[in-house]
Amino acid sequence: MFTCRPLVSPPLPRRLAVASPLAPARPPPSSASSLRVVRCMAKERRVRMVAKQIQRELADMLTRDPVLQRAVLPEAALGADQYLSSLTTIADVELSNDLQVCKVYVSVFGDERGKKVAIAGLKAKTKYVRSQIGKRMKLRLTPEIRFIEDESMERGSRILAILDKLKEEREQQEGNEEEEDGEGANLSEEEEGDWDADEPDEEDIIYVK
Amino acid sequence: MTKAIPKIGSRRKVRIGLRRNARFSLRKSARRITKGVIHVQASFNNTIITVTDPQGRVVFWSSAGTCGFKSSRKASPYAGQRTAVDAIRTVGLQRAEVMVKGAGSGRDAALRAIAKSGVRLSCIRDVTPMPHNGCRPPKKRRL
Repeated sequence: MFTCRPLVSPPLPRRLAVASPLAPARPPPSSASSLRVVRCMAKERRVRMVAKQIQRELADMLTRDPVLQRAVLPEAALGADQYLSSLTTIADVELSNDLQVCKVYVSVFGDERGKKVAIAGLKAKTKYVRSQIGKRMKLRLTPEIRFIEDESMERGSRILAILDKLKEEREQQEGNEEEEDGEGANLSEEEEGDWDADEPDEEDIIYVK
Repeated sequence: MTKAIPKIGSRRKVRIGLRRNARFSLRKSARRITKGVIHVQASFNNTIITVTDPQGRVVFWSSAGTCGFKSSRKASPYAGQRTAVDAIRTVGLQRAEVMVKGAGSGRDAALRAIAKSGVRLSCIRDVTPMPHNGCRPPKKRRL
């Protein structure tokens, strides 16, 4: 029965080979499947390198490119070159694994109006930024740029301000205790206290990006 | 009457500051001024903050390295912030003008720390050097 069918029709032996429990028939499809795996991700190190370079290029453009400067600071067009109403910094750049999408976290130091103006200007110039990056960097694909406002700086500074208040309160309590002892002991102990207080603060403060 | 301040003295203090053991004593010996200029130089790998008097003579300086950070942590915003806090607390400024140079990530953090520390800022200037079509820039980096 089996010997007759493969001779008659060619597609049948594949099905029979797959269905049959014969050992030599199994390895070929597994090797074929392993050969067909498609990689569509760059290696981690390359992703990091490209992201870092994009950050450098963007920071340089913010400093030197007149179009971007006017987008971020409208006063620059009027000649107020150095006196800033807001200061824009590229805080971080996240690049996707296939190097096609790039999230740029922008931190703006200034008042609310300055922030809105800066971020709106950057978003308006997204295509210009992409073309400039395409010219400056030699990549196969120029990534799509997305500007995202970054507020972690402000939150971090608020938390640190609160911690500083707590530290000052503790120092005041220690100062009150030391005043009872005497002035001479006061000075040396205060210095030692400052020195000791720095290290645990370093340990306590954990900065999370 | 304003006394003339010799530059040699300030240079000695700067040299003393390079030794780690003497750092704490340097904190005492730094001149205390009320009004001055804070220079923030934020490169991509470090943040340096220099406090000068209005004439430009250096009173105190601090950097991410002197605050204890090393290698890639010097470039982090937290290092910039600690550097700024260290510089301002030592000098005890009340009014200052800020000059920013460079585009590193410590720039924003240092500015926020300066603004929060209670120093009154008269203005913030960006004095990053920029060529008006100068020499040819170096070749592109290949990635």
